[in-house]
Amino acid sequence: MTKEKVKTGVEGLDEMLEGGLIPGRAYVVSGTSGSGKTTLGIQFLMEGASKGERVIYVCLDEPPNEIKRNMQSFGWDLGNVQVFDATPDVMNYDKTPVRDVSTERRVLYFKDVGEQIRQTPDYSPVDVTINTIQEVLKQEMKVRKYSRIVVDSLTSLRYFYIRTSEENSSMISFFRLMSDLGATSLLTVQLPEVAKPDVEIHMARGEIRLHKWVDGRGLMRGVTVEKYRGSWHDDRMRPMKITSEGVVVKTASPVKEAGEADSFVDVIERAASGMEKASSDAQSNTSPPQGEPAKPVDNPKSSDTTDAEPKGSSSGGAP
Amino acid sequence: MPSEPADRISTGIAGLDEMLEGGLIPGRPYVVSGTSGAGKTTFGIQFLHEGVKEGERALLVAIDEPPSEIRENFRALGWDVGKIRILDVHPTAKSFSKRVSLVEVAAQRTVGALREAAPSAKSEALKQASPEISIQSLQLMLKQELQEVKYARVVLDSLTSLKKLSENMEDTKSSISSLLRYLSEAGVTALVVTDLPDPGEVESEIFLCRGEIRLHKRMVSNKIDRFVTIEKFRGSDHDTMPRPMTLSDKGLTVDARKKVAKASLRTLQAFTQYSR
Repeated sequence: MTKEKVKTGVEGLDEMLEGGLIPGRAYVVSGTSGSGKTTLGIQFLMEGASKGERVIYVCLDEPPNEIKRNMQSFGWDLGNVQVFDATPDVMNYDKTPVRDVSTERRVLYFKDVGEQIRQTPDYSPVDVTINTIQEVLKQEMKVRKYSRIVVDSLTSLRYFYIRTSEENSSMISFFRLMSDLGATSLLTVQLPEVAKPDVEIHMARGEIRLHKWVDGRGLMRGVTVEKYRGSWHDDRMRPMKITSEGVVVKTASPVKEAGEADSFVDVIERAASGMEKASSDAQSNTSPPQGEPAKPVDNPKSSDTTDAEPKGSSSGGAP
Repeated sequence: MPSEPADRISTGIAGLDEMLEGGLIPGRPYVVSGTSGAGKTTFGIQFLHEGVKEGERALLVAIDEPPSEIRENFRALGWDVGKIRILDVHPTAKSFSKRVSLVEVAAQRTVGALREAAPSAKSEALKQASPEISIQSLQLMLKQELQEVKYARVVLDSLTSLKKLSENMEDTKSSISSLLRYLSEAGVTALVVTDLPDPGEVESEIFLCRGEIRLHKRMVSNKIDRFVTIEKFRGSDHDTMPRPMTLSDKGLTVDARKKVAKASLRTLQAFTQYSR
């Protein structure tokens, strides 16, 4: 790789990625709810904006006014980050003409986002589909050359904007579009508590996975680079924190083993899958079921989520 | 950690407010999850009761239980829940005859104060019609109600039942998305009650809500042990430890200073229902 890498905005993470992300490619940031995906995405855009790059945030799950307010608690000024509010309107369930989002909404700066949530127009709410989002991105790219794109979240896109029968093919075409656009993009993916790999993970040029679990020390966070095409990367889980400065990753040390034998999330999961025999032998069950000796953490929760084969894991709780 | 300058809305449980750094951020939807008997409905009523005490308008959308039963249950606790308004969407027995359309159901909704709740709040006409309740029809009902009355708090008990009543599964995800969006636009702080989420699925309501408060119930040596965790809370710092919770005639209380005993965390959940 001769091209200079793109900094993520998180120093420790750049170290794990041997300098950053390869420009012009699409990457996935995955994690359970509350693991910091949105924060990392915004931080990635802020890094670009601070260098005068053009950056865009495609907002699909939370409305932009809430994102703006939530990020104020980090003291970040999102003013120069552009935002495309693709959150769907309230459905009318009456026969009213539905107009297409690409004809109705434009990209704007975060500084122009109001305090209140955008209200659905009384007549003709706006319809959002994956095709129209692709159209908007193509149009926008022609006018302004964005160098960074964040789509938050790909899970919303799959859930609420794509017909079930077309889910996978639409996802694959979306990744193709992201490559064609030439910007470095981060696409967030919400993982269930027990992970199943989806097509978007396969299509991404890399996956940064954010982990969150509870053990005797309280809420713990870690980050792994699950996949990174065309570059060497750190293969250990590193401790992560969300501080007043945003996401911080420490690469000096891998995640330490918990003093407590059992994370309680794990207990719930095993109870769910009927793996729990008796509370007394819970302690002996804590090592990762597939026996990965190189695993830096003795945390069943995180080994669950990093497991590539859901059926192979004996602690998988999927019904 | 990030600081939050804005106002918060109290949950009605002092210890939980402490865990939430002052309470919930107003105008956003939140999930309360837990097994059956974990205290979800009690929490919901307590949240509405707190609002009513402050002179706010509070609405309970009752799907699981008829309003008369809810009133009886909380009267036993000595609570005056009379001022909480209630929208009864308890489905009537199916008559398997021609059903009226969803819009007609919405037009016939009845909202009354909880104190007026009669054994059966449904009108005779509605009973004969045997309407279908769905996420769509509920949204239409709420729309009419919220246009007339400015509610600050809404509790939906429970979304799990509502999902089961909505027959067309393909529309469920986007309908939930639309309903939660509607509540946000109306500016209400909403609590959505659900069963424990399936660990192998991304449940759309939990994914879309701005926070999840999970109520846990375990059997520890012949005694029910309760605790609460905050799984997610957007835009705010929060307590990350599980905290002990008690259910008494004062409702739910949480001690945000105490730790949950290790024994409780290790013991399997006695009544966990993951059936789906």
